[in-house]
Amino acid sequence: MILLVALGFGAVVFAGCVAAWTISQGETYSEQVDHTHDVEAQLSEFRLLVERAETARRGYILTGDGRYATIIDDALTRIAPVLGAIGRLTADNPRQVARVAQLRDLTLNQKLFLETTRDMVAAGRNAQALRVFRTDTSGQTVALIRAVSLDMAEEEQRLLAHRSDQQRDAVERFYFILALAGFLVILVGAASLWLILRYTKALSESERALRSLNDNLEGAVRERTRDLQRANEEIQRFAYIVSHDLRSPLVNIMGFTAELEAATGAIRELIERADATAPEIATPEARAAAVDDLPEAISFIRTSTQKMDRLINAILKLSRQGRRVLAPEALDMTRLISGIEDSLRHRIDSAGATFVIEKRLPQIVSDRTAIEQIFSNLIENALKYLSPNRPGRIVVRGRTEDGRAIFEVEDNGRGIDPRDHDRVFDLFRRSGTQDQPGEGIGLAHVRALAYRLGGVVDCRSELDRGAIFRLSLPIRYSAEQGALS
Amino acid sequence: MTEHEPVNIIMIEDDEGHARLIEKNIRRAGISNDIRHFTDGTSALHYLYHDEQGPALNGPALVLLDLNLPDMSGIDILAKIKGEGPLKRTPVVVLTTTDDKVEIQRCYDLGCNVYITKPVNYENFAQAIRQLGLFLAVIQVPDVSGEEE
Repeated sequence: MILLVALGFGAVVFAGCVAAWTISQGETYSEQVDHTHDVEAQLSEFRLLVERAETARRGYILTGDGRYATIIDDALTRIAPVLGAIGRLTADNPRQVARVAQLRDLTLNQKLFLETTRDMVAAGRNAQALRVFRTDTSGQTVALIRAVSLDMAEEEQRLLAHRSDQQRDAVERFYFILALAGFLVILVGAASLWLILRYTKALSESERALRSLNDNLEGAVRERTRDLQRANEEIQRFAYIVSHDLRSPLVNIMGFTAELEAATGAIRELIERADATAPEIATPEARAAAVDDLPEAISFIRTSTQKMDRLINAILKLSRQGRRVLAPEALDMTRLISGIEDSLRHRIDSAGATFVIEKRLPQIVSDRTAIEQIFSNLIENALKYLSPNRPGRIVVRGRTEDGRAIFEVEDNGRGIDPRDHDRVFDLFRRSGTQDQPGEGIGLAHVRALAYRLGGVVDCRSELDRGAIFRLSLPIRYSAEQGALS
Repeated sequence: MTEHEPVNIIMIEDDEGHARLIEKNIRRAGISNDIRHFTDGTSALHYLYHDEQGPALNGPALVLLDLNLPDMSGIDILAKIKGEGPLKRTPVVVLTTTDDKVEIQRCYDLGCNVYITKPVNYENFAQAIRQLGLFLAVIQVPDVSGEEE
C-alpha cells in the first residue's frame, strides 16, 4: 500500500520534473528560433548592402553622380559591423565560421573593387573605371557572396528544422510521459480508493465484531455476576440454615444435660442419705459415679456445648451480616475513628496506651456500620495484643492511591508470626499465645466486611515488632463493586 | 383458662427432645391442661380443622408453634390459622430457635400473639417455658363456637 502510494507520488513528481524540463527546453528552442531569425536578418541585411553597393558602383560608373559614391561609402561602413554580428551569432558552428571567413575574404575583395571604381570615377577616369569593371571578377564575387550567404541562411534554416524536430520529439515524449504519469496517478488513486474502501470495510467489520464481543462480554460478566451472586446467596443461606439447624440439637443436648444434672443431684442426695443411715448399701462405684464421674462428664458436655453455641452464634452473625443491605453514605473518617476512640477510651487508658490519628483521613462513601465494625475490630485487636514490654501506641493513618482509600492501623504490640498472616483472617483461627478471650471471629468478620465493601485487608507484621493492618477500600462504594464479594 | 371448658394446648414441634423439654417445664409451672403434640404440619392441620377432638369442632385451644417443620413452614400454618376460618382468634405462641428480626416481624404481621426464641442456654430455656406456663395459666382464650358471630 505504502509502496503503491510512494510509486504514485513518484510518478507525479517525475511528471512535474519532465514538464519543467520540457518548458525550459521550449524556452531554449524559442531562443534558438530568435537566433536563427537574427542570423537570417543579418544575412539578408548583409546581402542587401553588398547588392546595393554593387548597384551603386554601376550607377556611379554610368552616371558619375556623387550620390552613388555616398551610397557606396555608406554601404561599406555598414557592411563590416553586420558581418561582425553574423560572425558573433554563428561562432558556435564551425561550418558557419568557415563560411563567415569566406564571406569576409570575398567582402574584402569586393571592397577593393568598390573603392577602386569609386576613386577612379571621383578622379574623373570613368573610362578606366568602366574598363576595370568589365575585366574584374566583381560579378562572380557578388554571386559567390550571395551563394555563401544563402548557404548560411539555409544552414540556419536546416539547423532550425532539426531543432524543431527535436523540440517536437521532446514535446511528444513529454506528452507520452505526462500521459503515463496521469495513468499511473489514476491507477494509484483507484488502488488507494480500493484499499481505503477495503480498510474501511475491514475496520467497520472489526468494530462490529468488537462491539458484539463487548456485548457478549458484558453479557458474560452479567451472567457470571449473577452466578456468583447466586452462589454467594446460597453460601449465606447454607451458613444460616446450618447454624440455625445446629442450634436445635444443641438445645436438646443442653436441656437434657441440665435434666441429667438435676437427676444427678437427686442421686447424690440419695447416696448421702444412704451414707448417713445405711452405709453398706452404697457401693464405692455408685458413690464415685454420683459424686465424681457424672458431674465431671456433665461439666465437660456443658463447656463444649457452650463453646459450640458461641461458634454457631458467630457463624450466624457473619451470615446475617452478609445478608444485611448496605447503605453507602459520605463518611468523615477522622470523626468516625475518633468516635471509636472515645468508645474505647476506658480500655486505652487502662492499658496505658496512646492512640494517634495521623493527619486527616480521606473521606469515603461507604456503609457506616460496616466501616465502624471493621475499625472497631482492628483497633480492639491492637489493644488486646499489646506487648507488656513497652507502652502501647496505636496509630491510624490513611491516604488515597489510584482511586482507592488506603487505611492503616498500626500497633507496637506483640506482632503476628508471618506464617499466620493469612490464617488470622480465617474463621475460628487465632495466632500466638492464647492468653486472651476470643473465638477467632474478629478478623474473619473484618475480611468478610471488607470484601463486601469491595475492599481488601492484609497484614504486615513480625513477632514482637507490632503489626500493621492495611485496608484498601474504593473511595466510593457502589453495589456492583461489592456484589461479587 | 376457664374452669368449665378445658383449653387444649396443641404443640407443633418436630423435635421430640424439644417437645419433651417444653412439656416438662410447662408441667413444672403447674399447668395440667391436655397437651397434644404433633411433629409435622400436615397431621397438626388435620387435627386443628378436622378432628372431632380438635379445636375447630370442639372447644378452645392454644397453639405452640415451631417454625421449622419437616413438611411445611410454621409460617404457613400460622398464616392459615390467622387467616379466615374458625381458628382466627385462637392464640398462637411461636416458639422457635430463630431470632431473625425479619422472621419475627413476619410472624407478628401474620397475627402471631407471642413470639419466643428458644434460649440455647437451658436454664434460660427452662425459665422461659415456665414463665410461658404461668402466662398460659392466666390467659383468656376465646370460645371457638362464638367465632362465627
